Amino acid sequence: MSKKSKKKGAFIIEREYIDDQRIIEPEHLKLEEVDMSGRWGVLVLPRTIEEFNHSLYEEIKNHPRGRNIHKCWQCGNCTAACPVAEENPLFNPRYFIHIVKMGYKLELEKFKDYIYLCGSCGRCSEVCPKGVDPSGVMEAIGTVLRRYKL
Amino acid sequence: MRTENPVLIIGGGPAGLRAAVDLSEMGIEVILVEKRNELGGAPVRWKYKTLAPMMRPTEEVMNPLIEHVEKSELVKVYKNSIVEEAKGNAGNFVIRIKNGLDNRVESLNVSAIIVATGFEHFDARIDPRYGYGKNPNVIGIHELEAMLKSGRVVKHDGQPPERIAFIFCVGSRDRATNPWCCTVCCGVSIKQAIELKEILPDSQIYMIYMDVRTFGLWEKLYWKSMEEYGINYIRGRVSEIYYTGEKLLVKGEDTLVRGPFEVLFDMVVLAVGMEPGQGTKQVAKALDLAINEFGFLEPKHPNIHHDSSKEGIFLAGACVAPMSVEEAIAEGSAAAMQVVKLLHRLAKPIEAR
Ligand SMILES: Cc1cc2nc3c(=O)[nH]c(=O)nc-3n(C[C@H](O)[C@H](O)[C@H](O)COP(=O)(O)OP(=O)(O)OC[C@H]3O[C@@H](n4cnc5c(N)ncnc54)[C@H](O)[C@@H]3O)c2cc1C
Ligand code: SF4
Ligand code: SF4
Repeated sequence: MSKKSKKKGAFIIEREYIDDQRIIEPEHLKLEEVDMSGRWGVLVLPRTIEEFNHSLYEEIKNHPRGRNIHKCWQCGNCTAACPVAEENPLFNPRYFIHIVKMGYKLELEKFKDYIYLCGSCGRCSEVCPKGVDPSGVMEAIGTVLRRYKL
Repeated sequence: MRTENPVLIIGGGPAGLRAAVDLSEMGIEVILVEKRNELGGAPVRWKYKTLAPMMRPTEEVMNPLIEHVEKSELVKVYKNSIVEEAKGNAGNFVIRIKNGLDNRVESLNVSAIIVATGFEHFDARIDPRYGYGKNPNVIGIHELEAMLKSGRVVKHDGQPPERIAFIFCVGSRDRATNPWCCTVCCGVSIKQAIELKEILPDSQIYMIYMDVRTFGLWEKLYWKSMEEYGINYIRGRVSEIYYTGEKLLVKGEDTLVRGPFEVLFDMVVLAVGMEPGQGTKQVAKALDLAINEFGFLEPKHPNIHHDSSKEGIFLAGACVAPMSVEEAIAEGSAAAMQVVKLLHRLAKPIEAR
């Protein structure tokens, strides 16, 4: 996103359409004794979601402050009440909850540095109609991501 | 109150049965004409396991109605039959009942008519994106009901499915098929997902929806499915289902992340909508009743279902609009009440009417 690396896949035409996370650029790649490092070894992962993976979600559900994440129905009331989201469009608690629930890992990686922007003011948790405690869920997501050194 | 001519009810589903029970309990003779060889309408025909929203066994709701009608001396049931023709006016219609098995025709006089011919399921073969009828393990909610009732939910190879998708609004809310909402299939699908999870606790279930329309108290099912059963919801609409030879590749978009998905499933359940069936069309023609732009029977006043376009003919249930069993039953009662009012009026001397 904002920190788009200039180096990664710089030669790709219409480079700005592709997220950093989807570009795989192995430093050293040898295939049948031929050095394929550099341009020829670059791989662009498809945008299509090919799997729903709930492993991270299960871990967050086990975190004391993330245990109501499964109740979220994506109304966005949390984001609407959030003072951080008001200033920074990349901080969206509603969205973070969804990508965690569905296990969209590349998307989560893209936003990993934004989850910590949560100021723990708790306004989202006050307005959430389902009792999800999104503020707590942000903390739980952060903790679990740290566990994976993300 | 006794009248000379009995009351005709066409259709033996929840609405028609309830009307028959109410009229006979008020001492009025009833002729009940049912096209199929059994009473009970859709819940019995498709073997619904339980009824949403309270998830009561279907028999608890339907059996008392069916038993009452079958035992009552005041109700004469014609199964495998249709009404071919009705002539005359409120108080005295001459009708012809035709038995579809032996083609025997009987003429009778009736005082009033209640039409309760219900609905049919949308035939998902019409919308090719799902490959229904071609792809194995793509089934309709009506077919899943019978599986749930038997307690055995399996794929075509006899193995239980692990990952199951429900697709909402199949045949509904689409200009290419039926533009209306069937009102109950969201709730029914969710009820079934809960029942599936009880039979197969390790399965993963995904509801693919455009909106979740669990109106009124049915909302409880929606919350319960998420909060107690861990059922997942994906907002989007499926564009294609492709059978890989082993699994079903379901293509759609998760509109909450702007992400196209292509994910493998073991089983896909289509929430097929409700539409006016051949039976309702037949009655509309035989009785010369008005139908609306969608093919449902059109009431005289848009907000009052029970009065048809003709005096002495009343409407009830899903032949007027998609609805739930609880509503169909209430409409049956409402139509019965209108009949009683009519008979009461007709029994008075002309100058007092
Ligand atoms: C898969 C599925 C599951 C559902 N589950 C639930 C649920 O859990 N809870 C709930 O509240 N609702 C449920 N519904 C809705 C429910 O089925 C309907 O609300 C209800 O059946 C409507 O009752 P009805 O009497 O109006 O029509 P029907 O049940 O359709 O009965 C109409 C009867 O009329 C007969 N008939 C038709 N044409 C003629 C004719 N020309 N002459 C003589 N007879 C005729 C038919 O054979 C039928 O017996 C479900 C619907 C679907 C699609
Ligand atoms: S307010 Fe609650 S239910 Fe709504 S999106 Fe946020 S966490 Fe989910
Ligand atoms: S009840 Fe639900 S599934 Fe059925 S048509 Fe309406 S919105 Fe779609």
